[in-house]
Amino acid sequence: MQIGFIGLGLMGCPMALHLARAGHSLHLWARRPASLEPFKEVDAHTHASAAEVAKHAEIVITMVADGPDVVQVCLGEGGLSEGAADKSGLIIVDMSTIAPAVARDIGAKLAAEGIEFLDAPVSGGEAGAKAATLTIMVGGKAAAFEKIKPLFDKMGKSSTLIGDCGAGQVAKACNQILTGVGVAAVAEAFNFARKSGVDPARVREALLGGFAYSKILENHGQRMLDRNFKPGFKAWMHQKDLRIVMEEAHKLGLMLPGAAATAQMFNAMVGSGLGEEDSIAMLKLLERMSGSE
Amino acid sequence: MKLGFIGLGAMGLPLAGHLLKAGHALAVWSRRPEASASLLAAGARGYASPAEVARHAEIVFTMVTGSEDVAAVVLGEEGLIRGGRSGNGQFSTLVDMSTIAPEMARQIATRLGELGIRMLDAPVSGGVTAAANATLSIMVGGPAETLAQVRPLFDLLGKTIVHVGENGAGQVAKACNQMVMVAAIQACAEAMHLAAASAVDPLKVQLALLGGAAGSRVLEVFGVRMVNRDFAAGVEARLHHKDFGILLNEAHRLACPLPIAALVGQQLNALMGHGWGRDDSASLLRVAEVGSARQ
Repeated sequence: MQIGFIGLGLMGCPMALHLARAGHSLHLWARRPASLEPFKEVDAHTHASAAEVAKHAEIVITMVADGPDVVQVCLGEGGLSEGAADKSGLIIVDMSTIAPAVARDIGAKLAAEGIEFLDAPVSGGEAGAKAATLTIMVGGKAAAFEKIKPLFDKMGKSSTLIGDCGAGQVAKACNQILTGVGVAAVAEAFNFARKSGVDPARVREALLGGFAYSKILENHGQRMLDRNFKPGFKAWMHQKDLRIVMEEAHKLGLMLPGAAATAQMFNAMVGSGLGEEDSIAMLKLLERMSGSE
Repeated sequence: MKLGFIGLGAMGLPLAGHLLKAGHALAVWSRRPEASASLLAAGARGYASPAEVARHAEIVFTMVTGSEDVAAVVLGEEGLIRGGRSGNGQFSTLVDMSTIAPEMARQIATRLGELGIRMLDAPVSGGVTAAANATLSIMVGGPAETLAQVRPLFDLLGKTIVHVGENGAGQVAKACNQMVMVAAIQACAEAMHLAAASAVDPLKVQLALLGGAAGSRVLEVFGVRMVNRDFAAGVEARLHHKDFGILLNEAHRLACPLPIAALVGQQLNALMGHGWGRDDSASLLRVAEVGSARQ
C-alpha cells in the first residue's frame, strides 16, 4: 500500500519503519531533514509538504506532539486535506495524544471533505514502538478501523476499537491517569520506605506478590531502584497529557483529585528541570521536596 | 470625556452608571437590548456594534465573561478595532476589566499596539457590592502613562488602584486573587462542615473564629452564607470555575506547581457537575456534604 507518515520522532520513526519492512511504500514529509535519514534504505519517497503526501497516499498516519500540530498537518495551509481535494477515499489515522474534543473537531471537518479519520493513540512508549508491541486505542468508524487493522498489527500487539471519533483519545486519557498516578504512587512508596530506613528493593519484591502488583511497580519501580532516569517517556510529555485530562475534567464538571495532585507534581518536575528525564524522575522530585536526597 | 462601555452585566452595569453620573458621554452596545435600557434612559447612547462604539468614544471599557468574549468584542468582525483609528474613530484606549488569561491580555495588547491603540488590563475584585459602591480593587497591567490618563476614571469605580506591571500583570494579580480567595472559601466550607458533622453550631464557630487569627473577609461573607445555607449568588460559582481553568492552565504553561489550587479546582469541577454553577461559591459546602455521612 501507499502509506503517508508524518511525525518521525522517537515514536513515529520506528513505527514507520515497521510498515516499510512489511512491504509498504512510504510517503514522508518532515520539518527536519535529519528525521528522514533512517529511511534511506527502505522504499520511501520524500515530499515537500503534507499536501503532497496526501496526493500520493491511500492512508496517512500522523504521530506529532500536540493538538495544534495535528490541526496544522490535517487542516492547515499545505496540509493533508488540501492535498486530498481531488481524490476520494483517503483515511487519516492520527496516533498522537491530543484532546478528545480536538480529535472530534478534526474528524468532523475532515468528514465534511470526504476524508475518513481515526484517532488511534498508543501506549507502550519508545520501547513498545521499537518492538512493535504498542497498545492502540481507536476511535472512529468500524469500516475504517477494519481497513487499517492490518497496519496496526505491524506496529502493535493489540488494537481496540473503543467507540466513535474521540473515543480513542478518551481511552488514552484514562491510560495517562492510571500511569501518571501510578508512577507517583510507586515513587511515594519507595521514598517512604527509604526514609523509614527500609530497603525499597525488598519492599518492591514483597509487594509484587500481592494486590499492589502492577506493571508500573514492576518495570518503572525497577528503573527507580536502578536510578535509571533516561527516557523512555519524558516527564514533559506526561505533563502535557495530564493537562489534556484536566482540561476535559474542567469541561465535564468532573472531579479528579488524584490526577489533579499528580498533574501538579509533573508541573514541578518540568519547572525544576526534570522535564527531559523519564516520568520516573518523579522519585527525584519527591526526594528533593521532602529533603530526603 | 467620550467613553464607551461594553458588557452591561451584574458588574458592568453599575460601573457604567458611575461613569455616566460623573458627567461623561457614554456610548454602549449590548447583545441583549434590555441590558442597556436603564443606561439609555439615564442619557447613554446605544450603538449597533462594538465598532460603532469605537467610532464614538476615546476610551472604551469592556467587562465581559471570558477570553473568547473579549477577543470577539475587540478583534471580531464588528469588533472595536474596526472602528478604531483606522476606521475613522476616536478610539485610542481599551480598558478591559474582564477576568481573562494573562496570555490573551498580552496578545490583545500587542494586536492593538500595532494599530496605535493602547490597552490596560484592569480586572477587579470586590464583587457586585463593591461595584455598586464604587469601592472595587482594580489591578492594572499596561503602560504607566496610559494608567495616568485613565486613573481619574478608575477613581470613580474603585478605591484601591494598583499598577501591577506590564500588560498581563493585572490578570496575573487577579489569578492570584482568585486562588487565595476560593481556597479560603473551600477552607471555610470544610470548617463549617466539620463543625456541623461534630454536632457543633457552625454559627458559633464562625463567630469565634472571626475574632481570632483565622478571621478573614471570606469567613465573614461566605461563612454567613454557609451558616444560613443561603446559596443564591453573590458571585456565581461558574465564574470562579472559569477562573480556575485559566490559572491552572497558566500553572501548566509556566511549569509552576499549585497543589492546593489544583484540589480546589477539582471541588469546583464537582460543584459544576452538580449543576450549582449559577449558585454562589458558598456551594462548596454542599460539595463537601455530598461525600459525607452528614448531608
